[in-house]
Amino acid sequence: MPNSSTDSRKPLISMRNVSLSYGNFQALSDVSVDFYQGELVGLVGDNGAGKTTLIRIVSGIIAPNSGEVYFDGERITKFYPKKAIDLGLECIQQTIGLCDNLSVGRNYFLGREPTRRIFGLPFLDKKKMREASAKVIHDFGLRATVDVDDEVALLSGGEKQTFKIARAVTFRNRVIIMDEPTNHLSVRERGRVNELAVQLKQQGLLVIYITHDIFQIHRIADRIVILENGRKVTDIPRDAMSAEALEGIIRDGAKASAVQRSRNPKEEP
Amino acid sequence: MRQFLRRLVRKHPEAGTITLVVLISLLFTGLTQGLWLSVGNLQSLSQLTAVLAIMSFGEAMVIATGEIDISVGSTFGIGALVFLGLAPILGSGPALIAALLSGFLIGILNGIFVALVGIPSLIVTLGTLFLFQGVAYAATSGFSFAATDTVRKEFIYNSVGGGNLGSLNGAVWWVAAILMVLHLVVFETPVGNRILAVGGDAASSYSRGVNVGRIKFGMFLVSGLLASFAGVLDAAYIGYADGSFGASMELSAIAAAVLGGCHLTGGRISLLGTLLGAFVLRGIQSFLIILGVQPQWYILVLGLIVVFASLTDRTLTRLALRR
Repeated sequence: MPNSSTDSRKPLISMRNVSLSYGNFQALSDVSVDFYQGELVGLVGDNGAGKTTLIRIVSGIIAPNSGEVYFDGERITKFYPKKAIDLGLECIQQTIGLCDNLSVGRNYFLGREPTRRIFGLPFLDKKKMREASAKVIHDFGLRATVDVDDEVALLSGGEKQTFKIARAVTFRNRVIIMDEPTNHLSVRERGRVNELAVQLKQQGLLVIYITHDIFQIHRIADRIVILENGRKVTDIPRDAMSAEALEGIIRDGAKASAVQRSRNPKEEP
Repeated sequence: MRQFLRRLVRKHPEAGTITLVVLISLLFTGLTQGLWLSVGNLQSLSQLTAVLAIMSFGEAMVIATGEIDISVGSTFGIGALVFLGLAPILGSGPALIAALLSGFLIGILNGIFVALVGIPSLIVTLGTLFLFQGVAYAATSGFSFAATDTVRKEFIYNSVGGGNLGSLNGAVWWVAAILMVLHLVVFETPVGNRILAVGGDAASSYSRGVNVGRIKFGMFLVSGLLASFAGVLDAAYIGYADGSFGASMELSAIAAAVLGGCHLTGGRISLLGTLLGAFVLRGIQSFLIILGVQPQWYILVLGLIVVFASLTDRTLTRLALRR
């Protein structure tokens, strides 16, 4: 069992000494971090700090080289996305998540298509698919001309992002991970996404919010975790430090590692 | 009007092929003084089309996932040889099962290397294409397998291409049934949704919990199964087969699928279009035969068609997706 001496609550997700490398590149080294139900955690760091790698492990896309991952106290031994989804984890990824060639409705239900039985055989319940995704389009204020039968390729970058968020939120279960959710979004849409993150937390979900904008996340997060070159360098409650001070950590960390890299050019590719 | 065209192309990738079918039918009928449209020619054309289409359906299913199966030519040949080789000994029922099993096994082999090992399907299936062509030549060693008179009287032999139902060869009825089943599977079931998703964006599908490897594996099985069945249908129609049976059929199968509106990049296919594509190719072939042109020219025409079809395909897609 992961240690729980510092916190009386049981962590929902617990990562113990997790490491992962892509070839020579050490993306994560010996990271231990806990996430609790009902909290909004900001996962912050510069480009290449290991944020996306960390959540790829949590959402089952890749398996760590070493270390342990626990979900609700249970050790995870096999890593694949279906498992994470079944455990109640929805992840809004930056670059993936939608198939351009499929309609909005088909994308919405991909992997959990509703069916109706005809002669005992499972056929797509297209009516249900249309109605549910039309409601989502409407609720999240996508432009009126977006049709559930339109291919996703016809949506703009912002619309795709909004749609991904909408899908994750509607299927909400226990955990929502947002990887740079406000990319491609207008200022007003950004505000709405941040509000949404807070609402989800208030409903008792664990929200992990990944960004490199410390000022934006400092306003809404309960806790800030900073990664730097694949290591966890800071893990503190939001109130413990100002956004400016945290930004200093990220900036100095980047500088320090740049110096280190120039001293040992062979260490990092 | 433009808007209407765009919607049409987006929803019905086979629209272009239908136009092509009408045009070449008129053209060939005119140029051959009606001979092309004669009952006799259409009867043989329908059998040829059906056999090629069944094989091309399998190809289309693999293309749907963004992969390609070049080995279908050899699988077709192996299916035919296993069927005709075993039918006189075991009867046509067990021979049919053995033939389908051989296609299934070739599919498993392709699937293992593509979906589990992760080698590009172009390389894997090129390898199995030669491998099983070699097996076919070695097994026949210059001779051919032929159906005996007893086998020709068997019911199963006659229902898998050896005989007619109505005035059409059995293969024509089979193609209609297979088209319906596959069309429903691809466009009306959860599995179909996932097949198209894998071809559209494998990484995204995986992140939504789709088992990408299993889907691709499955489509190679379908392709192997259909190619061997097409081989049986053709072997039963002709009555004999040698080691070269099905040689270069893989080109026609790919061409039929592309011509029918299947995107080689995956995620967009049309099975009705593929059937029409097979009809166009076989139509051209029979036109060249009626004209007395050497059959080798067909390969040249085939190449031109594939290049031309993929160009039009891109233009149409751009048109359809422009806002």
